[in-house]
Amino acid sequence: MSDDLNIVGKRVVRSDTLAKVTGQARYTADLKFPNMLTAKVLRSPFPHARILGIDLSRALKVPGVKAAISGFDAYGVKWGVFRYTQDHAMLPTDKVRYVGEDVAAVAAVDEETALEALSLIKVDYEPLPAVFDPEEAMQEGAPQIHEAYQNNINIHVHIDVGDVDRAMAEAFLVREDTFKAAGEAYAMMEPYAVVASYANGFLELWMPNAGPHVRAKALSNLLKMPLNRVRVRHIYSGGAFGGRSEVSPGDLVASLLSIKAGRPVKLVLSREENATSTRQIHDMIATVKTGMSRDGTIVAKDYRVIYDGGAYSSTGPIATSIPFYVYEECYRFPNVRYNGYRVLTNKGIRGMYGCHGRAFLAGNESQMDLMAKELGLDPVDVRLKNGLSSGEMTATKSLITSCGLAQTIARASESTHFKEKWPKAKRGKGIGMGCIAIMCGFPMGFRSGSACYVKMNDDGQATIVTGVVDNGQGNESVVIQVASEVLGIPMEDINLINADTEATNLDPGAYSQAATFVGANAVRVACENARRKITAIAAEKLGVPAEDLDLKDRMVFSMTTPDKKMPVRWIVREAFFRGDPIAATGSYFPKIDIEREWVSRPWGQMAGTFSFGTSVAEVRIDSHTGRITVPRFTAAHDCGRPINPMAVEGQMEGSIQQAGIAAIMEGNLWDHGFLLNPDLLEYKVPLACDMPEIDTIIISSMDPEGPFGAKEGGLTIRMNAYSAIACAVTNATDALFTELPLTPDRVLTILERKKGVKK
Amino acid sequence: MKAVKVNFRINDEPVALEVKPYETLLETLRERLDLIGGKEACGLGSCGACTVIVDGIPLRSCLVLTPEVDGASITTIEGLARNGRLHPLQESFMEKGAVQCGFCTSGMILTAKALLDRNPRPARKEVVKTISSNICRCTGYKKIVDAVLDASLKNKAYHINN
Ligand code: FES
Ligand code: FES
Repeated sequence: MSDDLNIVGKRVVRSDTLAKVTGQARYTADLKFPNMLTAKVLRSPFPHARILGIDLSRALKVPGVKAAISGFDAYGVKWGVFRYTQDHAMLPTDKVRYVGEDVAAVAAVDEETALEALSLIKVDYEPLPAVFDPEEAMQEGAPQIHEAYQNNINIHVHIDVGDVDRAMAEAFLVREDTFKAAGEAYAMMEPYAVVASYANGFLELWMPNAGPHVRAKALSNLLKMPLNRVRVRHIYSGGAFGGRSEVSPGDLVASLLSIKAGRPVKLVLSREENATSTRQIHDMIATVKTGMSRDGTIVAKDYRVIYDGGAYSSTGPIATSIPFYVYEECYRFPNVRYNGYRVLTNKGIRGMYGCHGRAFLAGNESQMDLMAKELGLDPVDVRLKNGLSSGEMTATKSLITSCGLAQTIARASESTHFKEKWPKAKRGKGIGMGCIAIMCGFPMGFRSGSACYVKMNDDGQATIVTGVVDNGQGNESVVIQVASEVLGIPMEDINLINADTEATNLDPGAYSQAATFVGANAVRVACENARRKITAIAAEKLGVPAEDLDLKDRMVFSMTTPDKKMPVRWIVREAFFRGDPIAATGSYFPKIDIEREWVSRPWGQMAGTFSFGTSVAEVRIDSHTGRITVPRFTAAHDCGRPINPMAVEGQMEGSIQQAGIAAIMEGNLWDHGFLLNPDLLEYKVPLACDMPEIDTIIISSMDPEGPFGAKEGGLTIRMNAYSAIACAVTNATDALFTELPLTPDRVLTILERKKGVKK
Repeated sequence: MKAVKVNFRINDEPVALEVKPYETLLETLRERLDLIGGKEACGLGSCGACTVIVDGIPLRSCLVLTPEVDGASITTIEGLARNGRLHPLQESFMEKGAVQCGFCTSGMILTAKALLDRNPRPARKEVVKTISSNICRCTGYKKIVDAVLDASLKNKAYHINN
C-alpha cells in the first residue's frame, strides 16, 4: 500500500452527521412500535431502609396497566463486573440503599395511566441509619450498607513499588497535601431511556450504551436468559462520557415489564432521574505526598485516596485505580505507594468519568508546581525531566511504545509563552499546565479484542460488520474511514452494521479508548484480508504481481504501469463467478498482560499503547467576588496519527469545556443523601459564553500498533484540562486549594487565607 | 378533560389537531406528528434541545402549550431542507464538524437560523451570545460558532434558500 493516504488523516465530514442535522437520527426515546407501552419507575424516598413488603395489586387493577413489577419478579441475581463485586440486584428486595433507587415499576398504555398506577403501589419500609461521608462510613460502628464489605470498604487497591519510606527520608524536599473534590454529573444531553421488546423468546433492547456486548452479557445474567436471546440493537446515543458504560437498573426494569406484558415497553427517564438514578461520578479525598530531589526529580510518591463509591460496586476496582495509572503512565516514579479505597455510602450509583480522578490529578500537578517554585525550578522543566518517553517502563511495568509527551509539553508551553508568564504571575492572573497519559485498550478478559467481518457487494461497495459503538465521539465515521482507505473506495460506498449483538462479533465497546485502537484495528485487518483477495484476482487478470497493485477511487491499478487497471466491481463479480465471493474477517487483540488484575495483580502491561497530552490554562481571578474566568486555553494531544483531525479537535474542545471549565463550576451538592442539583437549572454546565479562546495542537506520534498509527482522539485533555485550571489558580494565588471545584467562595477562602499568612 | 382544537402551519403545511389542553408543543410534535428532531433533554426550559421556530422566534417547545400556538407558523428541523437541498446551516454544521452526539443539534441549528434570519451577518460575539441559550455537552461550542459564521458567509445561498 502506498504511503500517501487518501482518506485517513483528512478532515472529512463524519458519516453520522447528515442524519443528525436533518433530525432523522433516531435516539432511544424516539422509537415507536405497535402496541408499545409506557413505563414509569417508583423510586426509594429513603437513603437506607429495609423493604418489608411491596404490594402491586392495586396498581395492576388500574385499567390500561399491562404489567407491574418489583425485585420479587426478578431472578435473584446480582450483577457485578468482577466476581468479587456482584452486589447489585438493580431492583432490591432486601433494602434500598440510596434515594432514587428503583423499587417497582409499571407499564401502561399511556403516561397518565402509568403515573396513576405508580401512586397505588404500596411499599413498606423500615428506615435505617444512613451514612453519606466516606470517611465516616469507614469508621467502626458506621451503618453497614452491604454485609460483604466490612467498614463499607468496597475495594482497596494497594500498590507498592521500590522503597517509598527510605526515598522519602532521603528526599531533598517533601510535601504532603490533601484535596477534596465533589463528584460531578455526566449531564449528557440525552436522558437515559430504554426500549425493551420481548417476543418469541427473544428480548430486543435499545438504549444508549458504550458497549452492546457487555450490556447484553449483564442482562443475560440478570434475566437468566441465554446470551443469544438478549439482543442489544444499534441506536444513536446522546453522549456518554463514561456514564453509559455499565448496565443500568432501567434496563432490567424495562426488560421485566416487556417479558410480563408481552409487548414493547419504553422507559424514558427525566433529567432529574438521569442524575439521581443512573450513574454519577465519584467524590474523592486525596492525600498526596511527594519527595523531590534538589534538581526536581520525583524520587517518591505516597498516596492515600478515598473514593465515595455510592451504594454499589459498579466498576469499583477500575474506578479506584485509574486516577493513579493515568498519572504513573505519564511520569517516572522510582518509588511509589498507592492506597486507594472505594468506600460505600448511601448515595447514588457511581461510574467512571472521562475526567475521572480530578482532585488526584489536579492536586498532584499543583503540588508539583509549588515544589518546583520552592526549588527555583520551572514547571515545564520539571515535567520534561520526570515525564516518561518511549521505551521506558511505568512503575507498574507497562512498556511505553510511542510517546509524544515531550512534544505536547514543548508545543503547549511555546505557544502560550508559559515560561515567561509563569514566574510573572500575580494575584488575579495565572497560568497552569496539566499533563497526562491515557491507556488505549486495557484488560477486559476475552472482551479486550475486537473482530470484524467485511463483504464486498456486487456493485463494488462494501459492508462492514463490527461491534464498535458510537456515543457521539465519531467512532462510526472512524471505522468507515479506515475501511475506505484500505479498500480504495469512497466513504459513501461503505455500509456499516455495528453495535448490534446479534449481527456483530465481540468488541470491548467504547471503554478505555478501545474504539479506534482496538475496534478500528480489527476493521483494518478484515479489510486488508479482503483487499488481498481483490488484488490476487486482479493480478491474474492484469498480468502483474499482486504487490504492484494499489486500490483507489474504486479502481485497482498497477503502480508501475498505471494504465493497467480495472474497477473493483469487476473483480467482485469475477469472484462471484468463481463461487468464492470476496468476504473476510479480521480481528485485533491488544498486546496487554491478560493476567493483570486490578486488585490482586496490579502490574504487567496495562494497555496496547498510551496517548499523551498537555493542557495549558490561563485564568483571571476577580479578587472581590472570587470568580474565575478563563480567557485562553491551549491543548496539545498526542493521538498517534489523527484519523480525522477535525474530529480530534472536536474531542479536545469538548474536553476543555467538560473537564476544564468544569473545574470552576461543576459539582454535585448533597444534603443527607438528597442530590440538591439534579437538573440543569441548578447544575450549571458551561455555555458558549463561558468558553475560552481555544487553541488545539495535534501531535502525531505514529503508534506502531494503532490503525494507520492512530491511538485515541482526545481523552488526555479530558483528564488534564482540570489540572491545568487548578494549576493556573495555584499560580495566581501562590497557595494550594483544598477543595474542588474552584467556585467563587472557595477562591475567596484561598485568597483570605493567603492574606492572613502574609501578615 | 376536553380536547382543544388547534390549527397551525408546520413546515408550510396546514395542520388541524385536537390536543389535550395541557399538552406541550414538544409532545404534540413528537408524539402526534412524529417530528422527532426536537429533543426533550430537560423539560424545564434550561437546555434548548427542544427549540423550534414559532412565527420567526426560537421557542422552547417544552415550555409552550400547544393551544397557545393556535394560528402560528412553526418551523422544525425537518422543515429546513428544501427540495432535497440542505439549508446552509445544516451544510455548515456538517462541514465544520459542529455535530458530535447530535442531541443538541436541531435546537442549535434552529436557534442559529432565527438569528441569521434577523441578522444575516452577525459578529462572532453575537453568535456566541445567541447560542448561549442552548446547552451542548460535547463540542465545546467552538465548531458550532464556526459553523454559524460559515453559514452566514454563504449569504447568497442563504437568502435564495429562504
Ligand atoms: S427540553 Fe426544552 S429547554 Fe430543555
Ligand atoms: S453534540 Fe452532543 S450535546 Fe451537542
